[in-house]
Formats: sequence, structure tokens, C-alpha cells
Amino acid sequence: MDILHNLAFGFEHALTLQNLFYCALGCTIGTMVGLLPGLGPLATISLLLPLTYSIPTSSALIMLAGIYYGAQYGDSVSAITMKIPHAASIVACIDGYAMTLKGQTGLALFTAGVSSFIGGTVAIVVLAALAPSLGEVALLFGPADYCALMLLGFICVSVVTTGSVINGLAMCLIGVLLGQIGTDLETGTPRFTFGAQFLVDGVSLVSVALGCFGIAEITKNLDEKSERTPFNGKIHLIPTWPEFKRIWPSALRGSVAGSILGILPGGGPTIAQFAAYAIDKKVSKYRHEIGTGSIEGVAGQAAADEAAARTSFIPLMSIGIPENAVMALMMAAFIIKGIQPGPNMIAKHPDLFWGLVASMWIGNCFLLIINVPLVRIWLSVFKIPYSVLFPSILFFCCIGTFSVNNNLEDIYVTAAFGFLGYVMMRLALDPAPLMLGFILGPMLEENFRRAMLLSRGSFTVFVTRPISATLLGVILVLFIAQLVLMLRARGASRAGKPVAASERDTIVASPESARN
Amino acid sequence: MLNQNLVRGLFLAAVALFFGLGALRYPIGNLSRTGPGLFPLLVSGFLLVLAIATLVKSRLVQAVPLQFSVAKIALIMFGLCGFVLISQHVSMLLAIVFMVFIVSYAGTAPSWKRNLAISAVLAVIAYGFQRFLGLNLKLI
Repeated sequence: MDILHNLAFGFEHALTLQNLFYCALGCTIGTMVGLLPGLGPLATISLLLPLTYSIPTSSALIMLAGIYYGAQYGDSVSAITMKIPHAASIVACIDGYAMTLKGQTGLALFTAGVSSFIGGTVAIVVLAALAPSLGEVALLFGPADYCALMLLGFICVSVVTTGSVINGLAMCLIGVLLGQIGTDLETGTPRFTFGAQFLVDGVSLVSVALGCFGIAEITKNLDEKSERTPFNGKIHLIPTWPEFKRIWPSALRGSVAGSILGILPGGGPTIAQFAAYAIDKKVSKYRHEIGTGSIEGVAGQAAADEAAARTSFIPLMSIGIPENAVMALMMAAFIIKGIQPGPNMIAKHPDLFWGLVASMWIGNCFLLIINVPLVRIWLSVFKIPYSVLFPSILFFCCIGTFSVNNNLEDIYVTAAFGFLGYVMMRLALDPAPLMLGFILGPMLEENFRRAMLLSRGSFTVFVTRPISATLLGVILVLFIAQLVLMLRARGASRAGKPVAASERDTIVASPESARN
Repeated sequence: MLNQNLVRGLFLAAVALFFGLGALRYPIGNLSRTGPGLFPLLVSGFLLVLAIATLVKSRLVQAVPLQFSVAKIALIMFGLCGFVLISQHVSMLLAIVFMVFIVSYAGTAPSWKRNLAISAVLAVIAYGFQRFLGLNLKLI
């Protein structure tokens, strides 16, 4: 009953005219960035972050959250109609595009829209039920436990987004080191500033995000010179009753898988989609059709994608630890607005927490309208040539950077990170773990120093505390699992098995999706 | 032909050495009373280990050619730096036109008509930011 009471309280806040407007705006922008190439939710949120200074706290957070989960909806549309997975809908390209080739685009879009709605709704229930109780568990965490949790997050994100622990972890560590630039808060010593006054406060988060994700991504897209053919096919949206009956079992399975995987460190939409697709391939009544353009192949993954996007807010809001790069940016948005996400957030700001949860359901309804009946309008977005789009994105990068401190010279820093981001992309180093490392770096250092102080310099504190020891045990298991997988893949490739190639393709494909 | 794996290892090693050697200039302290240099030193040490692992791996696996287009990233950097300088010394409206024209050469088939149209739309947006969001943009 408490949940219903709290949700009613949340709806009271979310249903104000102002919050409804920002929710609709966030969902619309989210859908658009999900559709457009070279501009994922990560770049968009970092672009809009400085512009939210003048917006009230709850409205700003509702809008930014809307961009994130709205992008998951929009992404399915481009994946189904043109086989372009811009953000996180790699799996939708398989069956969704196969349905388009069979002339069932409308059915695929309807399935994706309705399944995303089901996924989002289930995830909101999970979020409302779990976040407060997980917040109570988080109160048991000490500095050593927080360190272990952050390390686990680094490892999981490295495995999921890059497919290579070495590359991903290296990027997390580079992010942590970039976070060291500026004044050491304990001793007041300026570190790595080289006498430059503008570095005393550290490198701006917006510069890092816009450089590595905005500018670098644009340059990479320009290198690829890929031409897009706009979708011109016919769309019949309304399915028959037997078709409709096939949607919901898969969508429910996907919702459960997505909700669970969204909570885990390093989890999120990408891994949830693959898991839901694999589950449907095992248990669905129509499993023999999956892969050739079946409703189940679209429904499960779309629901999981959306559910995971929502439940990934749980670790951020209840423990205060973001589990992926977008959540790290959301955490920055909370901090900019003077709110520290963590165990005390729900108690201190119940209106904000429950308002955000309720707005997610309202956003779900907006997205269903935007993406199902109005989908034809969105498909015209593809007709915007990239040669028009990219100078505009660069301009927004400049304005976004400038608006943080009203300082034009900050754009030099953004440009430098753009160059660095481009170099890293060309070296096959995914910048998403860097972002997580950059935001968590100062927190990791603070907790590490505190843990060392409390244990009088003994590293045993990490294995004597049950929570920390368990989390480090999980890290060890993940390392061993990665090693075994690597050795098996190498053995299979030496034997010339085709399985290894497909596994490798899957791993190579995932960074593109997770990056955005 | 540069090997992507080898360059990646060298890049990671360079970052690790930059921060690691830099950290030595600050007090290290001890584990129970850590100084400002200890944590970055530990992290760079770990990064150096990963860099060495990458370098070793690059010798064992097949070489991958490194693809790097200097012209495009240079044009974009030039456009952005020009945007700052012109905004500071002349006006942001002119800076927008300059940036749009310069960066358009990084794309395919630049057209001055299209560039002017994009510049005009961006100038209107900049005015909107100044007027309605209160951004302190020096447009003229």
C-alpha cells in the first residue's frame, strides 16, 4: 500500500503543467536522438546539461531522464525500418528489419512500441518497489565496500561495452586519472594543473562528454561517409488479434529479464536485449521463426531494452553509484542541481524521487503516442542530410560548453577532448568507460583514502568486510570467466569453427550500441 | 602501415607515464595517511600494467592497420578554434558563418548556399538562447 501511496504522491508532482511539458520535451528529443545518427543520449544529455541550470530541479531531471529512455524507443524505429542501430537496438535489426523486408514494417513498429510500453511499465513497478529498500541496504556500505562496488562497476562496464576487459578497464583508469586534475580536496594541493588557472577546478565534465562523444563521433561518422536511404515503404500499424496475442508473452519475459539486468552493475539496455532474445529463442512457442522476422524477435528485446533503461536508475538513486556512462551523466545532473544521489536521497527529496518515477510512466504514454500513431512523421527525420546536421551539432557543442562558465576558452578544452576522443576511437578504445571513470574517480579516491585511514593502512579491510569481500569475489569470477572465454575462442578459431566468428561479431557489434 | 594494437599500447603507456611521473612530484605519504600523489600513482601503475599487456598482445595477434584521417579532424579543430577567436575579437554571428563554412569541407560536397542557410538558422537559434535562456552570447 505504501508504494501506491508514494506513487500517488509522485503523480501529484509529475502532473503539474510544467513537469508535463518537460517530460514531453525530453521524450520528443529522446526519440529524435534515437533516430538520428551520431547523436546518442549520452551526447545529448551532456549537451543539454548546462542549459538546465535555468530549469527547476525536478523538471530538469524529468527531461534528462526522458531523453534517455525516449532514445530507446526511437532507436527501434531506425533499426526496424533501415537496419540502423544508432543507440542500443542491435537486436531489433535482426527480426525487425527482416519483418520490413517481408512488408510487415507497421506490425514490427507496433510490436516494438507496445512492447516498450509494457517493458517500461513493469520496470517502473520494480523501480518503485526496489529502490527504497535497496537504499536501506546501502546504509550498511562502508568506504571499502563502496570501493569494491565501483571496481565491480568498472569491470562490468568494460566487459559489456568493449568486449575486452583490458581496453575497457584502461579507459576507466584514464577517466579516473583525468578526474584527478584539479585541487586535491583533502590537502588543497593543485594536481596536474601545470600552473593553468582554468584547471584548478578540474576538467569540466561537459567538455569531456561533448569532446569524446559529440565531436569525436561526428568526425568518425564523416570518415565513414555512409549514405542513408530514407524509408519510403507503406506502414499498416494495426495488427490482427492473433498477431496481438503473440506480443505480450514475449514482452513480459523481456520486461522481467530487462528489469533484472538493468539493476546489475554494468548492465543496461544492450545486454538486456541480447538476454531477452536468447530467452525467447529457448522458450517461445514460435522459437523456430525467430531470426526470420517474427513478432517474438522484436517484442522481447524491445521490452527488455526499455525495462533495463528504467531500472538502471535504481543503483544510482538508492546507492549513489551509477552503473553505466549515461547514469554517470545523470548523477552529474543531480549533483549540479545540489542533490546527492544515494541512500538518503529518497528520504530527503521524496517529491523528486517519486515525481521522477511517476513521470517515467507519463513519459511511457507520451512515447507510445509519439512512436506508434505518429511514427510516419519521425521517419521524415531521416531525410535531413548529415551535411546539414553535423555543423549544427558542432555549434550546439560550442554553446553547451560556453554556457557552463560563460567562458569561450572552455571550447578549446572541448576541442582538445574531441581530438583525444577521435584518437581513442581510431585505436578501438571506447570512450563510454572513460566517462564512468571520470565521474566516479574522485569518489573512488575519497573512499579509498578513507578506507586506508580507518584500517591504518592495511589492504585486508577489503577482504575482511563481507560486502567488499563478496564484491571482490564476483570480480575474480568475472576475470576467470573472461579468461576461459578468451581461451575457448582462441581454441575454436585455431580449429576453424564458425561459432567463434559469430561470437566475435557479437562482441564487436556491442560497443557501437553501448557507446550511445 | 601502423599497427592499431601496438599504437594503442603505446598510447596507454604514454598516458600512464604522464600521470605516474607527474604524481611523483606531489607528497606520496603512506597507506594510512595518504598524500595527494599516492592514488594517481597507484592508478597509473595499474594502467601501465595494462599498457604492457596490450603491447605484449600486439606482438602475438595479427596486426590491424590503423586508420586515421588527419584532414577531417584538423578542419573541425580549426573551425572550433576559429569560432572562439572570432567570437572573442569580432562577433559570434561571424564566428558561426566561419565555423559552418570551414567544417563543411570535412563533409561531402560543400555548398555555399546550404552553408549560408545553416548559418542563418544557427544565428536565429543563438539569438533565441540569448533572448529566452539568458545566455551571455556576444552576437554582434
